[in-house]
Amino acid sequence: MTTDTFKTATRFGSFGGAFAPETLMAALLELEQAWLASREDRGFSAELAQLLEHYAGRRTPLYHARGLSTELGVDVWFKREDLLHTGAHKLNNSLGQALLAKRMGKQRILAETGAGQHGVATATACALLDLECVIYMGAVDAARQRPNLLRMELLGARVEVVEQGQATLKDAINEAMRAWVGDPTAHYLLGSALGPHPFPSIVAHYQSIIGCEARAQWQEQAEGLPDALIACVGGGSNAIGLFRGFLDDPAVRLIGVEAGGHGVETGKHAARFSGGSPGILHGCYTYLLQDDDGQVLPTHSVSAGLDYPAVGPEHAALAALHRAEYTSCSDTEALLGFERLARSEGILPALESSHAIGWLISNASALEGQRVIVNLSGRGDKDIDTIARIREQGS
Amino acid sequence: MKNRLVTQMTSLRSAGQAGVAPYVTAGDGGLETTLEVLRALDSGGAACVELGIPFSDPIADGPILQAAAQRSLDGGTKLGGILEMVKEFRQGGSEMPIALFSYANPLLHLGWEGAARASAEAGVDAWLIPDMIPEEGDEMSAAAQAHGIAPIFFVAPTSSDERIARAANASRGFLYAIGRVGVTGNATTLDESTLSFLARIRAGCELPLAVGFGLRDATQISAVTRHADLAIVGSAFVQRIHEAFMAGNQAPHAAANEAALYLSELMQGLKR
Repeated sequence: MTTDTFKTATRFGSFGGAFAPETLMAALLELEQAWLASREDRGFSAELAQLLEHYAGRRTPLYHARGLSTELGVDVWFKREDLLHTGAHKLNNSLGQALLAKRMGKQRILAETGAGQHGVATATACALLDLECVIYMGAVDAARQRPNLLRMELLGARVEVVEQGQATLKDAINEAMRAWVGDPTAHYLLGSALGPHPFPSIVAHYQSIIGCEARAQWQEQAEGLPDALIACVGGGSNAIGLFRGFLDDPAVRLIGVEAGGHGVETGKHAARFSGGSPGILHGCYTYLLQDDDGQVLPTHSVSAGLDYPAVGPEHAALAALHRAEYTSCSDTEALLGFERLARSEGILPALESSHAIGWLISNASALEGQRVIVNLSGRGDKDIDTIARIREQGS
Repeated sequence: MKNRLVTQMTSLRSAGQAGVAPYVTAGDGGLETTLEVLRALDSGGAACVELGIPFSDPIADGPILQAAAQRSLDGGTKLGGILEMVKEFRQGGSEMPIALFSYANPLLHLGWEGAARASAEAGVDAWLIPDMIPEEGDEMSAAAQAHGIAPIFFVAPTSSDERIARAANASRGFLYAIGRVGVTGNATTLDESTLSFLARIRAGCELPLAVGFGLRDATQISAVTRHADLAIVGSAFVQRIHEAFMAGNQAPHAAANEAALYLSELMQGLKR
């Protein structure tokens, strides 16, 4: 059955939409239809659930960090997505979409990656499900996240290194989208909750398992509800995944932490809410860092995964509704968060996730006595070279 | 609606003729170069010009148009300056239609209403927005038409007949057919599938039809204008005038002379 228009809402409030080249519309329409059908298909859901449990290692723990809690005076719980196979939450979405692509009869997968976590997760899912895999990665990110580049290649993916623009995540998405325009019969496995409809909805759907689990685990281990959730926000997939489990609990504060880079006042950051304004990039209408002529601005973050000029449209809508609040954490604060978690809890967090921890540490006095869940979205092994380099420069 | 573009396309259609529309990246080589190129194309008989607004993230463009946009942005080109240049071009009395080819964000940044007013005041006739589909286009389209700007949507070989009908219905002046799957600039070999795609659109669409993506010579122009009223030459045109500009000590007239020469070559394909 063919379809010529979307069947579900393309917007979150006034944000989102499908600002895509017409060449891609048939593929986007087919994707939406296949995704909706898969949700009604018990066999599909069972197969995905099976993979998530026995292959990926769900559920991930909700861990009460007593040492850090005592130090900060805040009751801190971590949702341990860093313990998921491949080392980050990205696999939830990659497995879901790869299985969906398989169901659609696709044989070829295209994807972008920033920090390399989505690239590794997608290469992993493609190896498992026997799909051809091409990953686009900016040259700057390929250098600073080299272990992940090697992992993707070992998993059988072809990695296309992108030299255009700033050679980071935005440019990787540009190239992946161009490749998809050239081969719309492939599946574009977008890794964050952004892009044209239906991607923001699909990615949030597959990531919402984080929040659903966390809510259930909280009820098992603690009383009532947490006071706040804290998650880093690049495109925003780990944050929306956690938030979605608590959207109907208005007493639970939802706090998204963007990359403050060298400081929002310096212009070298990726804080879209404090430094940006609404615009259209990569197929959706959302908060965007842009100049006074509507050109997209360069970004800076120590973390490759947060180094992106736009934010997922559902976050823009949650901000407009004042349901979620968005703040930022500087490179320096994130590095302090990384070191603190390593020493206090014996966990090396990804530099992306370190932004959530860094913000929590800087704001601990305002949260004194409260109970918070921090999404530990990824592990930091990929970042040890970056950390070592920064330490050498600092000493 | 009536404007220079609609008048042009109607008269081509009723005379059973076709035209060539070069694509020029505004500000590539500086806006004074673009102005001279526009004047040369007007004198040379271009049916219309697609004036490309440079954008930082052109997801539908191949390497040639990406590089041209980057050169233009690096040279400091701004939308306001481009519209001033169009105004200066119009002061010479030319009636050659000008369609702005812009990604959504630079226009949206002014607000659709503000962008439409500024475009109309400068003497622009149409908007072609490659990341805009009819479903998202109501507000844009209303603002454009209120200021006499023709909104033009795209159809691709992947578009269903229903989508083609919707795009035709929402467009004014002409409907833009993307001749093949892919980004701009890759060489097109015109095969039966492209021509049957054009015939399929023609069957369901009264609006004049333009075709682009990958056209580069008179033989191709001759083939596509059997089905289409307007042949758009983009990457090949941008590359050729850029090379002439660089070879000619970056003199605006070097680009303009080459533009006139290439246009006359391409228009050989219109002779029946």
